[in-house]
Amino acid sequence: MLKYLTGKNSAGADELASPGRRGFIVGMAGAALTLAFARSPLSLANPDKAVAEGAFDPTVWYWIEPDGRVVVNIAKAEMGQHIGTALARIVADELEADWDQVELRYVDSDPKWGYMVTGGSWSVWQSFDQLSRAGAAGRSVLIEAGAKELGVKPEQCRARAGRVIAGNRSISYADLVRGGGISRSFTDEELKQMPIKPPSERRIIGGQTRALDIPGKVDGSTLYGLDARVDGMVYGRPIMPPTRYGSAVSSIDDSAAREIPGYRQTITLEDPSGTVPGWAMVIADSFHAANQAVERVAVKWSPGKTTGVHEQAVLDHGRKLIDAADQGVLVRDAGEVDQAFSDAAEILESEYITHGVLHFQLEPVNALALEKDGRWEIHTGNQWQSLIIPVLAKALQVPEDRIVMRTYLLGGGFGRRLNGDYAVPAALAAKAVGRPVKMVLTREDDALFDSIRSPSVQKIRMAFDGDGKITAMEHHATAGWPTQVMAPGFMADGINGKYDPFSIQGALHWYTMDGHRVRAISNDLANDTFRPGWLRSVGSGWVNWALESAMDEAAHKAGEDPIEFRLRRLKAQGINAGSAPNSVGGASRQANVLRRVRELSGWGGELPADTALGVATSYGQERNMPTWTACVARVRVDRDSGRPTVEKLFVVTDAGTIVHPDGARAQVEGAALWGLSMALHEGTTLRNGNVVDTNLNTYTPLRMRDVPDIDMEFVDSTETAVGLGEPATTVVGPAIANAIFAAVGVRMREIPIRPEAIRAELQRNQKA
Amino acid sequence: MSKGWYLAIALLVILAVVLALAVWQPSIPAADLAKRHSFSPELVERGKVLAGIGNCETCHTITADKPYAGGVEFPSPFGSLYSTNISPHPEDGIGRWPREAFVRAMREGVSREGAHLYPAFPYTHYKNITDEDLDALYAYFMTREPVAHTPPSNNLSFPFNLRFLQWGWKLLFFDPDPWQPDPGRSEQWNRGAYLAKGLGHCSACHTPRNFMQAEKKNRAYAGALVDNWYATALDESQPVPVHWDTDSLYQYLRSGTSNYHGVAVGSMGEVVHRGLRQAPDSDIRALASYMESLSADRRNTGNPRQLAAETITAAQQRAHSEHGAGEALYVSACASCHYNDPQHPLAARAELSLNSAVTADDPTNLLRVVIEGVGTGAGTPILVMPGFSTLSDENLVELADFLRRRSNLPPWKNLQQRIGELRELHRQSQHSATGKAGE
Amino acid sequence: MPTEFKINARPVTVDVPDDTPLLWVIRDDLGYTGTKFGCGIGLCGACTVHVNGRATRSCITPVKDVANSVVTTIEGLAEKGHPLLETWVEAQTPQCGYCQPGQIMQAAAMLRDFPAPTDEQINQVMSGNLCRCMAYVRIREAIRMAARRMQAGSARPQEADHA
Repeated sequence: MLKYLTGKNSAGADELASPGRRGFIVGMAGAALTLAFARSPLSLANPDKAVAEGAFDPTVWYWIEPDGRVVVNIAKAEMGQHIGTALARIVADELEADWDQVELRYVDSDPKWGYMVTGGSWSVWQSFDQLSRAGAAGRSVLIEAGAKELGVKPEQCRARAGRVIAGNRSISYADLVRGGGISRSFTDEELKQMPIKPPSERRIIGGQTRALDIPGKVDGSTLYGLDARVDGMVYGRPIMPPTRYGSAVSSIDDSAAREIPGYRQTITLEDPSGTVPGWAMVIADSFHAANQAVERVAVKWSPGKTTGVHEQAVLDHGRKLIDAADQGVLVRDAGEVDQAFSDAAEILESEYITHGVLHFQLEPVNALALEKDGRWEIHTGNQWQSLIIPVLAKALQVPEDRIVMRTYLLGGGFGRRLNGDYAVPAALAAKAVGRPVKMVLTREDDALFDSIRSPSVQKIRMAFDGDGKITAMEHHATAGWPTQVMAPGFMADGINGKYDPFSIQGALHWYTMDGHRVRAISNDLANDTFRPGWLRSVGSGWVNWALESAMDEAAHKAGEDPIEFRLRRLKAQGINAGSAPNSVGGASRQANVLRRVRELSGWGGELPADTALGVATSYGQERNMPTWTACVARVRVDRDSGRPTVEKLFVVTDAGTIVHPDGARAQVEGAALWGLSMALHEGTTLRNGNVVDTNLNTYTPLRMRDVPDIDMEFVDSTETAVGLGEPATTVVGPAIANAIFAAVGVRMREIPIRPEAIRAELQRNQKA
Repeated sequence: MSKGWYLAIALLVILAVVLALAVWQPSIPAADLAKRHSFSPELVERGKVLAGIGNCETCHTITADKPYAGGVEFPSPFGSLYSTNISPHPEDGIGRWPREAFVRAMREGVSREGAHLYPAFPYTHYKNITDEDLDALYAYFMTREPVAHTPPSNNLSFPFNLRFLQWGWKLLFFDPDPWQPDPGRSEQWNRGAYLAKGLGHCSACHTPRNFMQAEKKNRAYAGALVDNWYATALDESQPVPVHWDTDSLYQYLRSGTSNYHGVAVGSMGEVVHRGLRQAPDSDIRALASYMESLSADRRNTGNPRQLAAETITAAQQRAHSEHGAGEALYVSACASCHYNDPQHPLAARAELSLNSAVTADDPTNLLRVVIEGVGTGAGTPILVMPGFSTLSDENLVELADFLRRRSNLPPWKNLQQRIGELRELHRQSQHSATGKAGE
Repeated sequence: MPTEFKINARPVTVDVPDDTPLLWVIRDDLGYTGTKFGCGIGLCGACTVHVNGRATRSCITPVKDVANSVVTTIEGLAEKGHPLLETWVEAQTPQCGYCQPGQIMQAAAMLRDFPAPTDEQINQVMSGNLCRCMAYVRIREAIRMAARRMQAGSARPQEADHA
């Protein structure tokens, strides 16, 4: 994702400060020692004054309290990835802080934090260098101050666990801060020269320290958006229109609701931003009263035009778009693709389908909105404040600087809260009723309002020459495009137009092929019917499913071992050689994780009947920031029912430097199980313009009893740290499908894979 | 017109004449109110225990602040009956009933004024109560707080609203002779039989009734639907995997729970927690002894624990091989509380493969508990179960079908319709509960 | 009609409609926000509390049904202390954390009925609690750790002091 955020076409791109661009200041703010990037060269001249006046660039900063606590500001959304811990760890390591004294502070939205977004697994990647330098600057200042106190030269001192040590004498950071008088600045040049510790000297990064956010999540004290409350607030619960777009309320009859104690009124939301057209909202003193009222208020709409759209129509439309050569955007067109196909001895062509996936983050979306002294406060958990604040400004008809997003932890993100659309109706309701409104969606509302992972249709074609060599591959992928709908500024430039990079990522693989054409096509019927969303790993979730299934089909067609078949094509040469700093080693690192997972899984060994291993690999999401991942799934298929049982998953990841090893394991566990859940357990379809499944009575994500053993490994590496939250999601589905084929000889090309489909295929095979 | 019809008309005419003479019962003069407090405390206390065994309160009390003031509705295919005020209020209640009138009502089903009572009032059983026990009951009721409250009038349809026709009913179905102890049985059994057949009137609920609402003698304790609860079968047809034995019956009647059968809720919850609560252990054991004899020919072949373990294990294996919607609902909604170690099923984790609500021929109890849940008001404090009324009808059918399959039983019929009826019942009770003094 | 019960050892009387779900009474009227709202139909377990020691899904339990009961929420369990709270941190179980209070309450109730649970028993009882982050591996591990600790503690209560 970062590539596009830092690209020229990004509105907020230059907000992402390059490290040390304006120098660094250290000074006393009150009793605490504050460390921050300077806002201007002027600040460097008088760091104390700059700190006192807050004249520093707070993209990254932290302070040290007189009692020694190191408080690190976190401008990222915490949604289970322990991001604050990971970021604080980088600071603390260079600062040589005592980890037990480190605290996190999640900050509210403010222009001073720069572009606020958390997603794409790149938080650590983006901040690593900045945070390291910030930590190192602090260490050097404290060593200087400590040396003075101890009466030695700075070169004779070292810092460890919050103390400056010289020989057998030492002084704590707390004492130094209490001593006061520390004031220092670093120019841009000095900061660049800052001695960053070599990886061998890291004590906190890569160590098994505990995540700082966990205790509050265990004892119930952590506050999520749902827990926000202010005096005088009322509850709001929407009555959802029949279509996502284009519906308009024609009448509201609340006569049957008026006797409900606590019921206040039902309003129609007037939304200048067009985010929630056709919404009515019940206002009541309690959520229970609001829920009762929703059952009794009769709303009539003139519905939007997608009221009759079913899943099949969206898929058929996708097929039509793929068949029309002039549709979509070419993302890659290398080699003589057309020639290769016309010369081909054989062509392999397959269509792959994925159905809709709900985010189903366990905390239904909600927001508390209020106006205080001319300023709007939106209390909610959100992943992309900078995207929604302009929309809120439009909705409320106020300037952006009058809106602040108060930060809460997220009861699950998975990309749902990148799209902050849920903040809008709460704000509109609060404006309409003139008091704080806490809007809570029920699970059913949340599902209907979800920006789902779009259903997708893909076609992959491979041309083989007479020797069985792949001479070209075509990959056509169509789905609803979240970026086009919600953040068009982040569309990328393709060969013949702009495209949603997130909806095709994963297709620009590192396999060596002479001809390679990738075409991304926006499914406009999908975009019109629902608001497509970014969902954990976004496009890689369906694109890699098709790619790695197709690679498996090709391997079987060639009569080759599927791992060997892939390895022969993962060569670190040409465009696949990789480059510094992010993709050093290129395809060879992907080959390495494949070899490691082959070993780990006992690939090629004997297995019981109807049980087999399947493999899939991925570079994660972006060629620019690859996370090398390989997975082997061991699957048993019950031939009578068609039911597949995933017995074990083997996952090998190369994400460069692992900042927080235990957190990294957790992320890969979660991501892998998401992959499994989407492949076998989840999935919904559209009927009459809405998703069919809105709650757990029919939508059935993975539960504990279906969790397989997971054997995972990380490649020991000191290369650039890259994201971990999503890549494993992309490999599990195809590994399962490939294992099913290996086990019972049926090829599944549709996700979710249902037992009925396997059984039907098995029966068909039997007859044939 | 056929000969049969002429005969019928002739009979009716004769009947009418006989009725005129025989139906009539004399009114018993009202008693002097001054005698009210001349009962010994011991007698009153004994009456209190007996009133509990008879569970008089449940039928005669609509709200806690009006004890024994009547007004509880008994719906029937012919319209609704309402229980009467049996508090000693002189006008609204039975305050002016002399002992003689009380005894006649209990044993013959005739009010003080001489009107025939409907057999919803189980005089058909109370006839078996001894004089001493009736004295105690009379003492108990006469010393209650008089409550001024006139219950609604019955609204039965014609001809059921004609009280004198009850005389004909009695002629057909009522044997006024009291039950006699069986000298061939133990004293304990006889005590149990006396309580069950008399004051306890157990078969009034557990025995199916004919079209005239009389208990079917040949199907005693075969299970019946009463007041939208299913009183399970206790005879040899009982479908539970682990048969009721004296230990489980005692445990159940005393505490309301049985490890191998489930928990008493609904009407039976009231019997156990309101009614039998006061009864001494010896009486509970006596009841258990008698109840056990109802299925004496089908006692458990092995020990109950072994039987239970085998049943649970088999059910768990059957569930394991499923993957449908019903199983998924069971895993999400039920298993966390109802899953058991086959060797140690716990009453508080009501094991559904053993549970009489699942194994009964009628789905009512299972559906009601699933839809309505169980609150502390039902009497077993460790048992609060949420109601899953938010599940769709389709979900409930899937779940019920799954539970039946899991127990290796055929699916219930007409589930969809029954779910609709019980949902409506739940909706109405919620509606009427709003603003009403709750439990 | 006011309903009386105890919550986290504190007697309370709440005057809300009888059919108000216990969840919202706990959260909004009594201020214990550790108990979460997930699905609202009793299928995710995020709202699990203890009613008289039994795990109960509060989102579909009308408040009147807990009259005169003892209700415990995650805050109450934390106040009293429970090995699960320690092992949950040691295993670094939570990701987003939203489902975890419910998971812990369910697990605590389970350990009463199954003091030494097998993996099969853990799977069967805990599958009613959805974790959308899919932290299942660690939930299972934290339960195993706590069970071992509690078993050891009750078998040899003095040992901890000497260790």
